[in-house]
Amino acid sequence: MKPTYQLPFTASRALTLGVELELQLVSPRDFDLTRAATDLLASLHHDGRHGDVKLEITESMIEINTQPRQDITAITQDLEGLRALLVDQCQKNNISICGGGTHPFHRWPERRICPGERFAFLHDRYGYLSKQFTVFGQHIHIGVTSGDDAIWLTHALNAYVPYFIALSASSPFQDGTDTHFDSARLTAVSAFPLSGQAPGTLNSWADFEKHLELLQACGVAHGIKDLYWDVRPKPEYGTVEIRVCDTPLHIDRAAELAAFAQSLASYLLRERPVISPELQGLVARYNKFQACRYGLHAELADPIAHQTQPLAHTLIVLLDTLRPDAQALGCRAQLEHLREVCTQGGDAHWLRHYLHTHPSLPELTRAATERFAQKSAYLHTKPPATPSHTSR
Amino acid sequence: MQHLRDAWEAMQDRLFFLPPLPDQVDPLILFALLVVAGLLVGQLLYRHFGLSRIVGYVLAGAIAGPGALGWLNTETLALAKPVADTALGLLLLETGRHLDLRWLRANRGLLPAALTESSLAFAGIFLFSYTIVGLSAGWSAATAAITMASAPAVVLLTTEENHAQGQVSQRTLLLTALNCAFSFVVFSCVLGVLHAEQTEDIFNALIHPFWVLGGSVLIGLGGARIALGIARVQQESPVLRVFVLVATALLAIGTARMLAVPVFLSLFMMGVALSLLDKDRLLSYTNLPDGHWILAIVLFVVTGAMLPLQDLSWSSGLLALGLLLVRGAAKFAGVLWAGQRDLPMAKRRLVGLGIQPLSATAIFMAAEIVGIYPEVGSQALLLPLLAAALMEFIGPQLCRHALQKAGETVPEPTRSAP
Repeated sequence: MKPTYQLPFTASRALTLGVELELQLVSPRDFDLTRAATDLLASLHHDGRHGDVKLEITESMIEINTQPRQDITAITQDLEGLRALLVDQCQKNNISICGGGTHPFHRWPERRICPGERFAFLHDRYGYLSKQFTVFGQHIHIGVTSGDDAIWLTHALNAYVPYFIALSASSPFQDGTDTHFDSARLTAVSAFPLSGQAPGTLNSWADFEKHLELLQACGVAHGIKDLYWDVRPKPEYGTVEIRVCDTPLHIDRAAELAAFAQSLASYLLRERPVISPELQGLVARYNKFQACRYGLHAELADPIAHQTQPLAHTLIVLLDTLRPDAQALGCRAQLEHLREVCTQGGDAHWLRHYLHTHPSLPELTRAATERFAQKSAYLHTKPPATPSHTSR
Repeated sequence: MQHLRDAWEAMQDRLFFLPPLPDQVDPLILFALLVVAGLLVGQLLYRHFGLSRIVGYVLAGAIAGPGALGWLNTETLALAKPVADTALGLLLLETGRHLDLRWLRANRGLLPAALTESSLAFAGIFLFSYTIVGLSAGWSAATAAITMASAPAVVLLTTEENHAQGQVSQRTLLLTALNCAFSFVVFSCVLGVLHAEQTEDIFNALIHPFWVLGGSVLIGLGGARIALGIARVQQESPVLRVFVLVATALLAIGTARMLAVPVFLSLFMMGVALSLLDKDRLLSYTNLPDGHWILAIVLFVVTGAMLPLQDLSWSSGLLALGLLLVRGAAKFAGVLWAGQRDLPMAKRRLVGLGIQPLSATAIFMAAEIVGIYPEVGSQALLLPLLAAALMEFIGPQLCRHALQKAGETVPEPTRSAP
């Protein structure tokens, strides 16, 4: 039966990319979060050629969005352009800016909701959760040609969510404490009633329209923006959006994650492997927890093989599988770099190591601001070498 | 009372350790009561009339001081002076630490704005004092040097009290730190001018400014180096770092008092030195303990008691008001027209309003000069003291209004009082 509710899907060119990063605005005096977003946005003057800068839910966050691009080099150029713009303007306003999924020691009651109808609605609806939502994520958009492809790819990508979490994890500290998680950010997202994964029963765009119609009729959701799914279709952009990544400490890692998403989508759409959304759904929360808690050392449940598998090992195998797609898309270097991250550790590891040698959370945040201020190695030098604990 | 005295003396016969019945209340008790009264009045004005707490503290001091009820006499005030010196010193240490040279380098519009508003304020007040009030050039310059700066204690505490964050708050704090720095340099030079004018002793006229300025720089640098040296070997304990900061500040305050170098200037220099020398950020993240609020209450109570309200008349009041208008217009114009093109005009206006307070630093600067020339100084500097007296009650309100209007304060229900 055709749904009465129509949600048009704007087709886009397959595998186009877009990246959104939520960034932290901190005071250079004590490196605590500061209320600065509205002032910063008002003082920015740019032509928009690299994308957009937007307010996020609280005054201590700012969001950058790249333009939709076909390849990772253009995405990196956009991220670099927006990074340079923000770092420069922040210096003029005596603000510092950094990545990372959580601020290590801010007090959430001190956050202030940004002006705007949508933010006021969220604050009204979710109460304190809206202030605790001062966490910082990376969203990756991948273009698809139809709504049906968007639903299929949403399900297909859901199985790979733990990999994105582990590779991007950069939020081991919260409330001044080591959480013993590599990514503590996602627990803030899990508190929202419509978080999780797309129901496995959705097989087409028409199914999705019916699902959304039901949620709207029951008053559960007003629109697609209320679905805080790990991966969700974005019909107005014609994309599938991966929403589980922490904002990395540097834009090059953000570009590498986007390259991974693009290569993976290319592989999936080309090979069309058999997927089992309902079966995967049974272990999705457990696997997500494993990736958040242990990062690259997680053990993932495989509901098809009836066994657990070490995340790092299966990720390396996957990255090897994606090599031909990465080669074709021009992002082989980025994937090679992620392969090295699998063995040497990512941002969460870097943050813990830095705090071990410099035992001060403000100092850790300062180091994160310095790291974010560095130019992209992909654009300004030869492709970056393996990250060490003290470089890039 | 006689019964109590008789009973006490009878007890003294039996208990040999009893002192004679005190004839008057110990000044410390009186002062403690006054601090509590200041706190309560401040809270009352804050809760019921929406006024800054600082106004309440000053009001309590002014009512109890020699100019009104006389509960606090000159001796009691002299007893409280070291505490007030410490309070002002610590607040100026914080102000000095707010002087962020990296920000000045990154935003080239800030220094011109500070220079313009300070210069216009000095020139305006000097001309007003010289031509309209009829003071000599030396005393006019002293009046201008004392009143050209904003009140760092008021601005800092108003920002803290309201948990203000944003461009208006930050720029108000920075411009206050800068105009204090300019004012202190001018004040040191003016000391020489005054000596030349009053005593014609050129030797002292030349040496004293260097003593004041050089002494403050050396004490400030010394304090900062000692603090950083100790912090380097005590890196692991944040609590110890707070002790290090406070202890070395007290050391600097004591040294400045011993050498007749202004405490406020020495501690401001120490704050600037800490901001510049702490490359390894040993004390960058160390804040004063919350107890500095108690010291601030003492400071404002003492400041209130020091106000020459008994000398306030219609004519002197009008002149003081005139000085404040000239000063206010000059500061406002300087902030509006020079530099800071990156800040919208509406916010520049609010910064112009935020830097209006005039308070304890001016009163303490005037006290330094009056200490040297007690016969003429108290009369010659009546104008800036009365201007400070009026501004004690208006300044905190103006500053708070600016921060609130900018939307940078935290609404009352979501914060707890410091």
